[in-house]
Amino acid sequence: MAYDKPIPRQGQHNKPFWEGAKQGKLVLPHCTECNSVHWYPRLICPFCHSDKLDWIEVSGEGTLYTFAVQHRLAAGAWAKELPFVTAFIDLKEGDRMQTVLRGVDPNKPEDIKIGSKVKVEFEQANDDTFIPFWRVVES
Amino acid sequence: MKMPDLSYRAALVGACESNLIGYPGGEERTIRCTSLQLHLEAIKNVSEYTGIPISDIDGVFSAGWSSELAEHLGIHPSYIDTTSVGGCSFQLHVRHALAAIAAGMIDTALISHGEAGWSYRGMGGRGGGGRGEVSPAEEATAAYGIAGAPAQYAHAMVRHNHVYGTTPEDFAHISVVTRQWAMKNPRALMYSKETNPFGGEITIEDVLNARLIAWPMTLYHCCLVTDHGGAVILARPEIARTLKSKPVWVVGAGESMGHSNMVEMEDFTATSAHRSAKMAYEMAGLSPNDIEMAMIYDSFTITAGITAEMLGLAPRGRGYTLWKEGHAAPGGRLPINTNGGGLSFNHSGMYGMQLLVEAYRQMSGTAEDGVNGDPGKQTEASNCIVNGTGGTLSTTGTLILERD
Repeated sequence: MAYDKPIPRQGQHNKPFWEGAKQGKLVLPHCTECNSVHWYPRLICPFCHSDKLDWIEVSGEGTLYTFAVQHRLAAGAWAKELPFVTAFIDLKEGDRMQTVLRGVDPNKPEDIKIGSKVKVEFEQANDDTFIPFWRVVES
Repeated sequence: MKMPDLSYRAALVGACESNLIGYPGGEERTIRCTSLQLHLEAIKNVSEYTGIPISDIDGVFSAGWSSELAEHLGIHPSYIDTTSVGGCSFQLHVRHALAAIAAGMIDTALISHGEAGWSYRGMGGRGGGGRGEVSPAEEATAAYGIAGAPAQYAHAMVRHNHVYGTTPEDFAHISVVTRQWAMKNPRALMYSKETNPFGGEITIEDVLNARLIAWPMTLYHCCLVTDHGGAVILARPEIARTLKSKPVWVVGAGESMGHSNMVEMEDFTATSAHRSAKMAYEMAGLSPNDIEMAMIYDSFTITAGITAEMLGLAPRGRGYTLWKEGHAAPGGRLPINTNGGGLSFNHSGMYGMQLLVEAYRQMSGTAEDGVNGDPGKQTEASNCIVNGTGGTLSTTGTLILERD
C-alpha cells in the first residue's frame, strides 16, 4: 500500500540527509570546527555558529528522552493509526530527533521506559524518501 | 547586561473584554464572531472605561493586527508593534510599550487582542504568519504525526513525571482548584452546570477519568478553546493620575525564549520563564517570597505547574503543590488564576490578554466581588506576577503589577 502519511519536502539544505536515508544510513550535519552533530539541518552550526559544516554518518543509536501517546490529534493519515506513541530521542552523538516510536504498545504506556535504548530504521515513503523512525531495542 | 529600571514609568489604566466571550453561538455556531469584532468591542470598552478617546492613542500593540486595527480605528500611531509569539505576546507588548513610554516616544499605548477560537474552530485561516514556505524545523518534524498543542505538551508532562516522580494526578489538582475559581466567576464558561454541561465542580477522579487527548493528559488537563477579545491601555504616570479609572503599576517586566520548535527544547521540565521572571524580579526589587498572587498561563496543567517552578513560587519539581495543598485556591495564601484560568474561564488560543485583564481587575479592586451573589473572587493581594507562555513552552513574558 502506498505511503499516505505526511512526507517531508527535500531541499538543498537537507539533501545528504535524504540520500543517506535511501541507503539506510543516518547522515547528519556535522560542524568541522566544534565537532558536534545537529538535527534539524541548519545553515550554520547552532552550537558555535561556524558555517564550516559537512555531513557524517552517525551510529543510529540513541535513548528515549520522553514520549506521549496520541489518542485524539494526528496529522493527516496518522489519524488512522491512533493511538500511537510519539517521542523525542537523544542521539548517542548528541542533539535530539523526533519520531513515532516503534516496538512499544500504545495501550501500555506504563511499560515504556524513558532512557530505553533505541535504534533507527527507515521506511520507504516514495522513490526518493526513506523516513527514519526509531525502535525500542532494550528497555 | 543589566536591565534599566522602568518601575512605575507607566501604568495599566484599564483592561476590558469584548462583549461576546466563550461560545457565543453555542454548539450550532448560530453566531460567528470575527476576531476583528472581538478586538474592536474590547477597544471601545477600554476607551469608555478609562475615558481616553481612541483618537488619543499613539501606540498600537497586537499579535499581528496592528496595521489593520489602526486603519479600522482611523488613527495614525507613532509606534506600531505586531509581536506575535503565541499566547505570551501581550506580556511582551506591555514590556515594549513600557519601554516606548519611558523613552518618551509615546504617551498612551493600546494593547489589543481578538481571537475567534470557537467561532472559527477547525475552519482554518487563523493565526498570523503565512510566509509561504515551511521552516527546516517544520519539514524535519512533519513526518511524525504530531498535530496541535496537547500532542506536544504531553511530552513535557511525561518527562516531568520521570525526573521528579510526579504523577498526572498531582497535576489534576491544578484543574480542580482552577475550577473552584471559575465557580466564583459568572463570566467563566465552566461557572456552573447551567453555563455549560461540563461546568461546575470537578473532582480529581473526573480529571483522571476524562477521555484521553494525549496520554497522560486527559481532556481536563487541557484548556478551553473559546472566542475572546481584550484590550488594555498603558499610559505614562502624568496621564494615569488624571483618569476616572484606577492605575495599576508595572513594577517589573521581562521576556525570554527557549526555542521555537519543541525538538529544540533543551529541558522539557523548564521554560524560559526563569529568565523572564529574573528580569522582572530585579526590576521590581522583589523576590518570589514577596508575591501575593499570580496569573499563570494554564494552556495545560503542565504549563502552570512548570511555570510556578520557573517563577520561584515553588521548588523545582513541586509547582503542583501550590494547588494540591490549597495555597492557590480561594482563601489560600497565594491565589492563582482567579478568573478560572484558561482551563475553565476562557482560552481563545492566545490566552495572555485574559491574564492581563484579570490581573488589572484584581490590582484595581474591581474583580467580581459580590457579583451575582458570588463574593470572594476579589483578593486582598497588593501585587500580582503575570506570566505568559507562547508556542510550545517556547517564549515567555513576565510582568509584576502593583496596586496603586
